[in-house]
Amino acid sequence: MPCLRRTPARALAFFAVGLPALQASAATVEIRSLGSDGKALPETVVFLESAAAKAAARPLPGVEIEQAERRFTQRVTVVTSGSEVRFPNRDKVRHHVYSFSPAKNFELKLYTGTPANPVLFDKPGIAVLGCNIHDNMVAWVVVVETPHFAVTGAQGGVKIDNVPPGTYKLRSWHPGLAPGAPAAEETLVVGAGGAGAAVKLPLVAAAL
Amino acid sequence: MRAVRPRRLSSRIVALFLGLLLVVQLAGFAIVRWSIDDNARLMLSQDLAVGERIWARLLAQRAQKLTLGASVLATDYGFRDAAGSGDVSTLGSALDNHGARIGATITAMLAPDLTPRALGDTTAPAALVALLPHLRQLTQKGSVLALIGGQPYQVVVVPMKAPVLVGYVVMGFALDHALVEDMRAVSGLHAAVLARDSSGAERLVLSTLPAALSRDMLATARSDAMDLAGRPHVLRNIAHGARGEMHTVLLRSVDDAVAPYAQLQTTLAVLTLAGLLMAGAASVVTARRVTTPLQSLVRASERFARGDYTQQLQHTEREDEIGELARSFDRMRTSIAAHEAEIRQLAYWDPLTQLPNRAQFRDAVRLAIEDASRQPGGGRPVAVVMLDLDRFKHVNDVLGYAFGDRLLKGVAERLAGHAKQSLRQGDVVARLSGDEFALLLPGSDAQDALLVAERVAEIFQHPLILDDHTVDLAAGFGVACWPTHAGDADTLISRAEVAMYTAKRKTSAALIYDPAIDAGSALTLSLLSELRRALENEELRLFLQPKIALSGPRSGDMVGAEALVRWQHPTRGMVPPMQFIPFAEQTGFVRQLTLWMLEATAQQWPMLRSLGITRVSVNLSTRDLLDQELPAKLDRILQRHGMPACALCLEITESAIMDEPQRAEATLNTLSSSGFKLSIDDFGTGYSSLAYLKRLPVDELKIDKSFVMAMESDEDDAKIVRSTIDLAHNLGLTVVAEGVETAAVLARLAQLDCDEAQGYHMARPMPAAEMPAFAQRWRKRDTLALTAALH
Repeated sequence: MPCLRRTPARALAFFAVGLPALQASAATVEIRSLGSDGKALPETVVFLESAAAKAAARPLPGVEIEQAERRFTQRVTVVTSGSEVRFPNRDKVRHHVYSFSPAKNFELKLYTGTPANPVLFDKPGIAVLGCNIHDNMVAWVVVVETPHFAVTGAQGGVKIDNVPPGTYKLRSWHPGLAPGAPAAEETLVVGAGGAGAAVKLPLVAAAL
Repeated sequence: MRAVRPRRLSSRIVALFLGLLLVVQLAGFAIVRWSIDDNARLMLSQDLAVGERIWARLLAQRAQKLTLGASVLATDYGFRDAAGSGDVSTLGSALDNHGARIGATITAMLAPDLTPRALGDTTAPAALVALLPHLRQLTQKGSVLALIGGQPYQVVVVPMKAPVLVGYVVMGFALDHALVEDMRAVSGLHAAVLARDSSGAERLVLSTLPAALSRDMLATARSDAMDLAGRPHVLRNIAHGARGEMHTVLLRSVDDAVAPYAQLQTTLAVLTLAGLLMAGAASVVTARRVTTPLQSLVRASERFARGDYTQQLQHTEREDEIGELARSFDRMRTSIAAHEAEIRQLAYWDPLTQLPNRAQFRDAVRLAIEDASRQPGGGRPVAVVMLDLDRFKHVNDVLGYAFGDRLLKGVAERLAGHAKQSLRQGDVVARLSGDEFALLLPGSDAQDALLVAERVAEIFQHPLILDDHTVDLAAGFGVACWPTHAGDADTLISRAEVAMYTAKRKTSAALIYDPAIDAGSALTLSLLSELRRALENEELRLFLQPKIALSGPRSGDMVGAEALVRWQHPTRGMVPPMQFIPFAEQTGFVRQLTLWMLEATAQQWPMLRSLGITRVSVNLSTRDLLDQELPAKLDRILQRHGMPACALCLEITESAIMDEPQRAEATLNTLSSSGFKLSIDDFGTGYSSLAYLKRLPVDELKIDKSFVMAMESDEDDAKIVRSTIDLAHNLGLTVVAEGVETAAVLARLAQLDCDEAQGYHMARPMPAAEMPAFAQRWRKRDTLALTAALH
């Protein structure tokens, strides 16, 4: 997974790490994601919402969702609201990337290379991306209004650093949830020493 | 009648052949029929099973096609766009539009959780409501049959992805008539879809059957067989829908399935019939091959029965048992023919002279008479000449039978030689018996025949020389003619025979038959059998005629009697001895008569002796004399009755002795030595020489009554009587005179010194029982009349 991260992600990490340092008091929140069968669930999007967090959120620059070998190279992408995302096509065939999701309805008609205009995700929610040419291509863009978000790794766990102590809504979402289902939410109080939580998600096999 | 058995045999063979074949064919037919039935049922059930699979496949294909159509809609970008945008009215139009493209009349879109999201514009909400119970099953199977608004629908569902599952597209298609017609075209089965209302009533929705049959079907649905318009059908029910509210019935007519086999059966039946005909023909031919030769054998044996052995048998060339039988029949034929020829030879030819025998001669006479009587105008006469050699018996006796046979052969040769020279075609020379020969002269009358007889007599004039003997030939000839003397062959022959015997008796050479000579012949013909019966039924009576002594101490007394026989015939009364004694002598029956006489006389002896009779005379015939056993028989009879031999005098005629002088002499010697008295009867009528008489052991002479009766009127006869008495006395014989009818004769005889007299003058013959009375009478009269006569 880290190898797939490109420059913008690293910049984001840098930025995220840098922020608590400014506030002088920042904690780390550790999340574990489990499926309804109790197994560790990777690729779960977790994010912490609060009014402060919403205010602190800034659009992410230079986000790309590339397509290669007739796949979206990254299935789940998290962006802050107002971020612009580019869709570079590394294949020789054309793709027709679309989303009918209410969070973002768009389409990039048959193209090669990187289309000139990036797509702006300006509403929080989940946009399901597909390709009209290749039905099996699927990817999700989770648009959040907080800088505190992460995606669980192979072991189903992830750490969110530089979280100022406070009360947050811990929300979690996974592609296995029923189509159109919103992210689950729970309250999480983050103390100075950080916090930990385990989320359990009711996955629907058919949705995959 | 005779044709029945062979025909029955052949029909039995044919029946057996055909019966067996029929049984085999019927068994085959039954097996085929049974297996056809079985096969047809199996095939029907297979047809239905296949039909069920075809029906399922048809439905599946249709579902696939519809699914494809629905998929096209589900993946349509614009539709997905509309779905994503949540624009229900646009979705409704899109569903309707796409549905119309593929012929779906019900269209709807469902959310992933199966809640309806949109309906096609023209789809009634009620239709979706009707679908709701099927949705779970629908998403699992992809398609269902459902009853919507009372109509059968095939409903398909396809998931809609953008790109993840965002909902389902549902499309319903009305099942139409084309589907069942398709089914019928593909499977050959009738198909019908039935629906059940909420009330449970069945209703025909779709059917390939004519309307008329549909009613029948509703009545019998859900069983596995039914009759449609009276014709049997098998069927299969296939339920559809979650609660089986719909089902498809597949139907097959049993008749249709069996039809090809019916053709087969017809062919088989024709083959059976043809087989039967051929087998019938073959068995008839086979039976003929057996029975035709059998019939020809039967005909052959019938020919044998008729005496026809000329035709050779058929089928002798065959190598089978029939041929063997035919060859054996043929061998039998030739063998029987040979035997018969031999028998015929024996039966119709005289082996000694090689002349036709009596049987053949008789046939020839009969044929000649038949030929003659067939000729118009009464026909020409047929004459028979019969001849008998004189003195042949002497030749046989003196020179032996072998010589006699050679003599007969010689005579036959002469006759045959003469016949060859002078007789005509159709004339027959035959040897009838012993020394009796006959000639048949068709076309000759009595005078012609007499001439022939005289010519034949001429050829006998030359003596026959055999070895050193010269034999003079002489024969008596008798001639009789048809139709003058007789109406048939047998009578003709016997008349010729009568004529011949008459000729011989009269010592004339040839005589033509004269009815007069045969007056008594009709009477005598039946006499033999009657005479036998007379003996058995005791119709014979013993009569006695007394003999009176004319000299000696008992002069005038009854000293003897002659035993005579009388026949008390039940219808003719008393038959005179002259009518049966000569006949009895001819036939030899006289021997039994003599024995009877002796027996009867011996029985009466005690009574006669008591009357003073010392001797009873009994006549012996020539044949008695030839009987060597006679003395022994006599002894036995006398012994039985206690009669001494000397009391019996046996009277023998001169001619009887002269017929067989040697044997007679021998017998007489035996009898004499046994003590019997012997008397020569009818003395003076024969040719016996005194020298010969002298040699015989005779005790008495009996002067023939012709002399005695005539001596009163004829002095010559009186002389004969006197000299006979003298002669007898000189030879030491006593003399008895018979035929004494008057007292004068009696007196004269007494005068002449005759010893005894017998005659009507004294007594007629009387039954033995009357003798005592007579004796009494005689004794009284004795002294009166006789003494007067004698003195």
